[in-house]
Amino acid sequence: MADIRLVNVSKHFGQVRVIENVSMTIGSGEFMVFLGPSGCGKSTLLRMIAGLEDIDGGEIHIGDRRVDELPPAERGVAMVFQNYALYPHMTVRENMSFGLQNIRTPKQEIAKRVAAAAKTLELEHLIDRKPGQLSGGQRQRVAIGRAIVRDPKAFLFDEPLSNLDAGLRARTRIEFAQLHQRLKTTMIFVTHDQIEAMTLADRIVVMNNRKIEQIGTPMEIYSRPASRFVAAFVGSPSMNFLPVQQLSDRDGKAVIRLPDNSEILTGIASSRLPSDGQVTFGIRPESVKVSANGAVSGKADVVERLGERTLAYVRLADNSVVIAEDEGQSRINVGDQVKLDFDGASSHLFDSRDVAYSAG
Amino acid sequence: MSAAATATDVPLPARKKRFNRNEVLAALIFVLPFVVVYAVLFIYPTLQMIWLSFHKAPLIGPGTFIGFDNYVKLFKDKLFGVAFWNTVYFVLLTVVPATLTALAIAVGVNRLKGWMQSLILACFFIPYILPVSVVFRVWGWMFDSQFGILQPLIALVAGDNVPVFRTLPLFMPTVAFITVWWTIGFNILLFIAGLRNISPEIYEAAALDGTSKWRQFTRITWPLIWPVTVLVLTIQLIAQFKIFDQVYLFGNGGRSDATMGLVQLIYRSAFQKNNGGYGATVAVVLFLIIVVFSVLQFQMLRARGEK
Repeated sequence: MADIRLVNVSKHFGQVRVIENVSMTIGSGEFMVFLGPSGCGKSTLLRMIAGLEDIDGGEIHIGDRRVDELPPAERGVAMVFQNYALYPHMTVRENMSFGLQNIRTPKQEIAKRVAAAAKTLELEHLIDRKPGQLSGGQRQRVAIGRAIVRDPKAFLFDEPLSNLDAGLRARTRIEFAQLHQRLKTTMIFVTHDQIEAMTLADRIVVMNNRKIEQIGTPMEIYSRPASRFVAAFVGSPSMNFLPVQQLSDRDGKAVIRLPDNSEILTGIASSRLPSDGQVTFGIRPESVKVSANGAVSGKADVVERLGERTLAYVRLADNSVVIAEDEGQSRINVGDQVKLDFDGASSHLFDSRDVAYSAG
Repeated sequence: MSAAATATDVPLPARKKRFNRNEVLAALIFVLPFVVVYAVLFIYPTLQMIWLSFHKAPLIGPGTFIGFDNYVKLFKDKLFGVAFWNTVYFVLLTVVPATLTALAIAVGVNRLKGWMQSLILACFFIPYILPVSVVFRVWGWMFDSQFGILQPLIALVAGDNVPVFRTLPLFMPTVAFITVWWTIGFNILLFIAGLRNISPEIYEAAALDGTSKWRQFTRITWPLIWPVTVLVLTIQLIAQFKIFDQVYLFGNGGRSDATMGLVQLIYRSAFQKNNGGYGATVAVVLFLIIVVFSVLQFQMLRARGEK
């Protein structure tokens, strides 16, 4: 178990910069998730920590050692790959033993560790099979087993759930959470799936365009996004964005006017906002309720019934679309005129550089 | 075995339904040209050859049935013994060295990147596209006992110029070496295709597992390209058992019996001496040898795969 520190880490492939001056500290025993769209550099960052990619600038420390010059095997980390990367010609047992044999671990010790890992991961009955004879979920567990037996200082997971079907993915996600609770080892988990990130992480690193957008706990990321990108990327369905004018201020809080001229009192202090008044208004669907007393009206374009709640895609007078929430047994239908009630206190504003301002 | 069992277990009507008449017809039309050509140009001549081997007959025209006499004669024929051992010697000199060398070169070339890789690969492949006559001329000149470009080197070792192709102990090894040089490009290509099939992630996993380069090769790379290795060995084996052109050319048109191979013996018996029956007998024996070795190699592939 060890903390991992990245100091001004950079990387480029030829002329293309893939990571720019990234610094962060991952606490000992922490479950950190790198979240971002494909191509944002999150996997590259993970591979740099693993030693599979060189870094062009900065330092990487694991525990009290600087590791960026060390080969992968000497960094004390174990990695689970997206496609598992099991050795196809070796049995489950051989796959798990191989790394230990390489460092000349005594045979009895190898057998003991492999047996323990196989038991934990319920692989005992598969121990003499080859990867080709296993299902996706079983291969996944073998890959985790191969990592566990090495007793690493940190586990690195590169989108390990993306090759599983939806049901298995949800179950395996819970297994990852349990694995972390049991091992209490530092873990870094790369994903583009915000649900995985929200459910598993102690903290999330949201990345976009080679840079870190925000580091925070799942709820910080969700309720106080640092940028428009984070606000849009986290949350499903995505946050509503409307271009607005900042009108005035009431008791120090900003009042904005929507494109259809209705006014909303936000929970954001006016004094923090840029003076040009050009802002984008952001509000999550759960803060926009379909209500008979609502101040804003529009026509329901699409109605999605999700069971416990209903989502309505409402077209306002100026043609902008707002996703609003209604109860599960909603009676609205496509084409209905509906009224919307905006909870301004939980809204967000974004300036022209997409920096976010949240209430409180 | 289990597949055959399950196939017959399926009740007949259920199986019939799976094929639609038009599909069967279309399938037949597609395979027919090949089946006809294969039957006319391969199956029929093979059967004729086997039949001919039981006859005392010229190459063309009728002969008399003599049962196994040709086979009895064959095993007493000293020349057959010479041709057999020459062929086996040549196979030993070429097949394994060519396979191992191709593997080593392929592993090396595979580590190169971009145009450099293409260039080096092309260099190794170019000899393969040469016709045997050109190969004969090129190496004939290079080894020429008077003005050959290699003679100073040979003189350095042997003390004097050596007429390599007229020195019996040197003849087969030299022709084998030239054959390996000539044909290795294709084997390298097969190995490279096999190597490229291995996911880079497996090597990354191996790097994280702390695998040394040598262990990576012996425990990961080679086991994973073992099927390609067996394929290369089999192709090589079949090709080299049929050695004729190079030995015939370098041996000055096969004037010396001492350098004779099995195919050359077939050629001489059937076409030069017009003894079709005996030529066919040698051909049948060569055919059986190749079948036996191919089956053995196939077993080798399976044995390794099932381990």
